[in-house]
Amino acid sequence: MTRINKTSKFAIKGALAALALGLSAQGALAEKVKVGLLLPYSGVYAALGNDIQAGFELGLETFGKEYDFVIANEDTEVKPPQGLAKARKLILQYKVDVMAGIVSSGVLGAVRDLVDGAKVPLIVANAGNDDATGAKCSPYITRMSFSNAQVNRPMGKWLAEQGVKKVFTLAPDYAAGRQMIDAFTASFTAAGGEIVGQEYTPFRKTQDFGPYLAKAKASGAEAVFVFYAGGEAISFVKQYDSFGLKKDIPLYGSGFLTSSLYVNAEGPAAEGVITSLHYVPTLDNPENKAFVEAFKAKTGRLPSEFSAHGYDAARALVEALNTGARGREGIANALRSVSFTGPRGETSIDPATGNIVQPIYVYETVAGENGLTQKVLASLPVEADPANGCAMPAPK
Amino acid sequence: MFRHTPFRYATLALLAALAVLYTLNAEYFGLELVAEIAVLAILVLALDMVAGFGGMVSLCHGALMGIGAYAYALLTTAGGLTAPVGMLGAIAITAAFAWVIGAICSRSHGIYFIMATLAMGQMAYSYVFEAPIFGGDDGLSGISRLDLSLIGLDLNDGRSFAFFCLVMLGLAYGFSALVLSSGLGRSLSGVMHSEQRMRALGACVWRVKADMFGVSGGIAGLAGVLAAQHVMFVSPGLLAWTVSGEALVVVILGGLGTLVGPLVGAVAFIMLKHEISDMTSYWHLVVGLILIAVVMSGANGIFGWIESQVERWRPRRAAMTDEEIRKREVLSDA
Amino acid sequence: MTPALLTAGPLALDASFWVLQGLNALQLSMLLFLLSVGLTVIFGLMHFVNLAHGSLYAMGAYVAASAAGLMGYWAGVLLAPLAVAAFGVLLYWGLIRRMRRSGPMAQVLVTFGLIFVMLDLTRIVWGDLALAAPMPELLSGRLTILGLEYPIYRLVIIVLGGLIYGGLYWVLSRTQIGAMIRAGVDNDAMASCLGINVEQLFFLVFCVGCALAGLAGAVAAPLLSVTPEMGLSILIPTLIVIVIGGLGSLKGAIAGSLIFGFVQTFGAVLAPQLASVLIYALLAAVLVIKPVGLFPARG
Repeated sequence: MTRINKTSKFAIKGALAALALGLSAQGALAEKVKVGLLLPYSGVYAALGNDIQAGFELGLETFGKEYDFVIANEDTEVKPPQGLAKARKLILQYKVDVMAGIVSSGVLGAVRDLVDGAKVPLIVANAGNDDATGAKCSPYITRMSFSNAQVNRPMGKWLAEQGVKKVFTLAPDYAAGRQMIDAFTASFTAAGGEIVGQEYTPFRKTQDFGPYLAKAKASGAEAVFVFYAGGEAISFVKQYDSFGLKKDIPLYGSGFLTSSLYVNAEGPAAEGVITSLHYVPTLDNPENKAFVEAFKAKTGRLPSEFSAHGYDAARALVEALNTGARGREGIANALRSVSFTGPRGETSIDPATGNIVQPIYVYETVAGENGLTQKVLASLPVEADPANGCAMPAPK
Repeated sequence: MFRHTPFRYATLALLAALAVLYTLNAEYFGLELVAEIAVLAILVLALDMVAGFGGMVSLCHGALMGIGAYAYALLTTAGGLTAPVGMLGAIAITAAFAWVIGAICSRSHGIYFIMATLAMGQMAYSYVFEAPIFGGDDGLSGISRLDLSLIGLDLNDGRSFAFFCLVMLGLAYGFSALVLSSGLGRSLSGVMHSEQRMRALGACVWRVKADMFGVSGGIAGLAGVLAAQHVMFVSPGLLAWTVSGEALVVVILGGLGTLVGPLVGAVAFIMLKHEISDMTSYWHLVVGLILIAVVMSGANGIFGWIESQVERWRPRRAAMTDEEIRKREVLSDA
Repeated sequence: MTPALLTAGPLALDASFWVLQGLNALQLSMLLFLLSVGLTVIFGLMHFVNLAHGSLYAMGAYVAASAAGLMGYWAGVLLAPLAVAAFGVLLYWGLIRRMRRSGPMAQVLVTFGLIFVMLDLTRIVWGDLALAAPMPELLSGRLTILGLEYPIYRLVIIVLGGLIYGGLYWVLSRTQIGAMIRAGVDNDAMASCLGINVEQLFFLVFCVGCALAGLAGAVAAPLLSVTPEMGLSILIPTLIVIVIGGLGSLKGAIAGSLIFGFVQTFGAVLAPQLASVLIYALLAAVLVIKPVGLFPARG
């Protein structure tokens, strides 16, 4: 695998020049595949970008030995215009065969039309906006991460089945927050539950969750269901615990709340929080064990769901190549019917929407030997997202 | 007061020649850079008009640009207007917003003015971020570029669009220079020197400030329209205060109150940022250090420094250069 | 579906709910006060706004979190203000003293550059991931007052803010050094004519301001998340506080903090849709009515 390193601009030019001249150091057997990675390496999601990249590289090393990958990394800075400019650079200048990455839904929204118009396959490795595989779907976009609704929908039914009937919900006031809560609310109320209060907090501007927690407490809810991620998740979980709410009103949420990436910054406050997610590092299957071992050997830390997105995105690319698909059109087409058993279990792409179909796990954060760990309580059935207005011709 | 010196003309000619040459020969990403620089240059022109010539250091110009971008997006998609009408409408809307902001903030000075404009900008940002018709943080897509097929240009082609942006930048520059040397521009300079004196002369100080802020807002609106057409997508990030902060950095890097300097600053900033972010993800560190070094050097930005070196070689025309006058003004505006 | 709580309206909530929210508002106010008082007094004396003040706060949080991991919470709380003050000394000698003669705009920009530099320095030293900042056992419980349960840690912040306010008030109004500072804020040229070493005073106030920012960071760390962006995200609220209050005065800092804390908290309760716009609208309104804030040091 040739890596176009961010730290060396000249390596990029060198590698591309070598490519243009058809000089392959690895001989004629290895096939060159040019991959553009669009990830945030600075800004609020830098940690996610690095985790996804580590997973992606590991995936290519593990599954794609027979191909010679040339990777170009570009920093989106989590800014949509920046992401679009970098995507154009990858497509038009580096002429990549396939792109992968994208953490924020805003960046995905910005590059969507470009990718669709230029007919370049894009493997989404995080951004969960429902529309990307709904009304705004494209045969060139396959998502190997999750959709906001997918992660939370099964949780509504599950929670109602546990006998919880009255829930208060909280989330940051932005598109992902609303999509996650809406999906939970729909399935929870359909299963007989009642939402006794619903609040959206100003996104990344809320230092003190106290006012909302007092409201939740006064609402008479049996449980609180929330979506928060990153820094906000840490503040929220800590403050929830410090108010002593956890024992009276258990905290449930979307699994990003207690992601293994930052759960240890939450500390004991996260113990006992029950959430749903598509991947946790403690999943008990041989594929995951191998992944966790290899990831630890490579980076010295446990993988998170973000590393799993990267790992599986790489795997999906290799699986698509293994079908004999070549070139942008071919790879895009093959990606749409990829399926394999990976660390997350049965994983496949729904050809109708381009979204991933995967099991959702309910897990509890518990104290382990080396800090907090995840205890899987239930594996919820695999369900494809509804088409949500997505109409595309079937893959060839 | 704004004046074109031979050196400024020469710099403009050089910049224009370089831009045209570069655009003719650039690769795809180079063309992206040209458009990006042109948009930023228009925005900092607008900012320099009020900050450099009126002492109104605004932290809401990013938000004004965002308003222009969103107005264009909504007028041409949901509003169903054609692109030229949408562009003019967006510029007019932004100018109107800016005029109102200028009028409201006209009584504040110094840091209070900065904060008052910050508050206005943040209000717009929060509103756009949360209101459903603006698409929230997911932004709005499906924005089309101006159709110039009548004169045989396809703006969806990167090179044509880069040239289009450069032409717009040229127009914006000419317009700013014109306004600054008009009666309004002179009154504004007077207001920056001494509001009391201007009041005694019978000028309506708040009107002067608001009018200039409105004009500047219109130009920021143009930057927004071009940004929307360039990316063909708008998101609330355009309105964030950090965009205004960055624009201010560019104005200072280039040379406050020189109008030409900010253009130089825009080129330097975008080039630097891309070069450095290619090498390291810690580009903030390098840009921050450069900013500190430039400010601490005591020069008025890159262009201001070069200009003062050139002035030194020329026989002195007047007792005091524009530069020195401006420095005193800024000092006295504490 | 209509959430029951909202239809019932806030009147359906009992008195203890409002007391609880009042405490929340006080807690947020005091945290902001710790941060804004240093900034505003530095401005009063030196006429420049140190935009990097938020970054000093972030640095305090990082130092506290790291030290707490090695030596326990209390070491962190003690070490953070000292470390940040030491950094302040470096800043003073390296940058700020040399910028004394330049205009306020230049000073603002240097500190703006400093934000960028410090943001990436924290990323380089501590990484992109959020850091853990544990709460001490002693302060992690809850106290029951008048049948109301409230986290001890938050009460401690309220008390700490009150103590610092009292202490600063005493120093500024009752001691000689306070009189000198007030003289310097009022008219620094006149003060130096009277034989006060304004430059030295200035250095002292700057270091104390930095130490307070570090303390605020250390105190906030167990409550919030310690991330590289925390300095940038606290900057705007702090600026709003000092501008509403009026620059340069202790009274302004406490008034601004209380207004911010209460508007933010009760805004979140009573008008959640407006929560994020409310405080900016208030700031704009204050500046329209009183263009120099409520209690400026110099009328």
